[in-house]
Amino acid sequence: MRHWMSSLTLNQKLAALAFVLGVVAVFAKPTGGGAVTIDPTDLARIVETEVDHVDPLDLADWIMAGRADYRLVDLRDEKAFGEYHIPGAQRLLITDLPDAGLPRNEKIVLYSDGGIHSAQAWFLLKAKGYTGVYMLLGGLDAWRDEVLFPTLAKNPTPYQQQRNEKLTAIARHFGGQPRSGAADTEAAPQIAAMPKLELPSGVAAPAGAAKKKKKEGC
Amino acid sequence: MNTPFYKYGAFGDETSLVVAFVIGIGFGFFLERAGFGSARKLVSQFYLNDLAVFKVMFTAIVTAMLGTTYLAWMGVLDLSLVYLTPTVLWPQLVGGLVLGIGFVIGGYCPGTSVASVATGRLDGLAFVLGLPVGTLLFAEAFPWIRGFYENGSVGVQTLPGVFDLPYGLVVFAVVLMALGGFAGASWIEKKFQPR
Repeated sequence: MRHWMSSLTLNQKLAALAFVLGVVAVFAKPTGGGAVTIDPTDLARIVETEVDHVDPLDLADWIMAGRADYRLVDLRDEKAFGEYHIPGAQRLLITDLPDAGLPRNEKIVLYSDGGIHSAQAWFLLKAKGYTGVYMLLGGLDAWRDEVLFPTLAKNPTPYQQQRNEKLTAIARHFGGQPRSGAADTEAAPQIAAMPKLELPSGVAAPAGAAKKKKKEGC
Repeated sequence: MNTPFYKYGAFGDETSLVVAFVIGIGFGFFLERAGFGSARKLVSQFYLNDLAVFKVMFTAIVTAMLGTTYLAWMGVLDLSLVYLTPTVLWPQLVGGLVLGIGFVIGGYCPGTSVASVATGRLDGLAFVLGLPVGTLLFAEAFPWIRGFYENGSVGVQTLPGVFDLPYGLVVFAVVLMALGGFAGASWIEKKFQPR
């Protein structure tokens, strides 16, 4: 036996090893994410450290930079979606979420009007074993107040001036309009209607349509 | 331990670049060790007298396949989190042909051209300089070829899915294909040895 083994070349030994591993692999059942164990401690840590949040201004940056390495999901109903949605979002009701077949290897950003629905959807997807799930911090309300109609600092310092200009540029890009700080103190912030759904140029078409090539793979 | 490490947040975007760099250096090292830093070695593939490219690449495929299969079986690797390139039939066929023709004419593919530059080869340098030029031309021409670029998009396809076979059986079949391929390649090499 030993003599027979030593008469094989290295290549033949490796080939035999591959063959044996291949035979055993016939019985392999790679888990496709079917079995999921929820680790409450881990979930609590994620909630506590808020790493599962995406700031509206960060999302605005992503959209303006044309990033395509995430999937934006709008959890509101058809009517609300038709009136306004963040550029690039795809609509999915929370009831459809578990069976929507969202790719598990993508970064998924959820949003609803406020934060509750997206938080619930976040947990639902976590329970399905999704790892890259994020919530838009403050939901569409925050998107409206911080991105579309940001309040600019009055009598700005040079730093604030810089920030004001950036906020204005972002707001204009998404069809919004910045508000100046002081006028709003007595009256509740006046917000014009949400911008029309004509996508600013250079913004990705709503997802679900052709997605841009991801910067992954080779 | 859960993998893929990146998807489980073991490291962030910046660190992933360092990891990619280290893996890239390793990739280049083994390309060079296999002799793929030389256009002569690579091109002899097409004259059928040295099928090292086929053997090395198929060995890499089988090794990676067996590794991921067993890691997933042990529950260490979540295969559904591994990125798979979506299939876009026609552009990928044409792209493969263009790459193949360039390979025969010039003697390098993108990875091996970089490896050859690392060992100081000037023909490889011409290739590497061609990469950004080609990328730029493609980007500029993209509005015109966009329709074709997205033509025949069928999403992510896997062999077990297409043939409706158990995952493990496909793994075994690919191993058999590789072993048969290696034996066949050695036979072909002998037959086409330059006299």
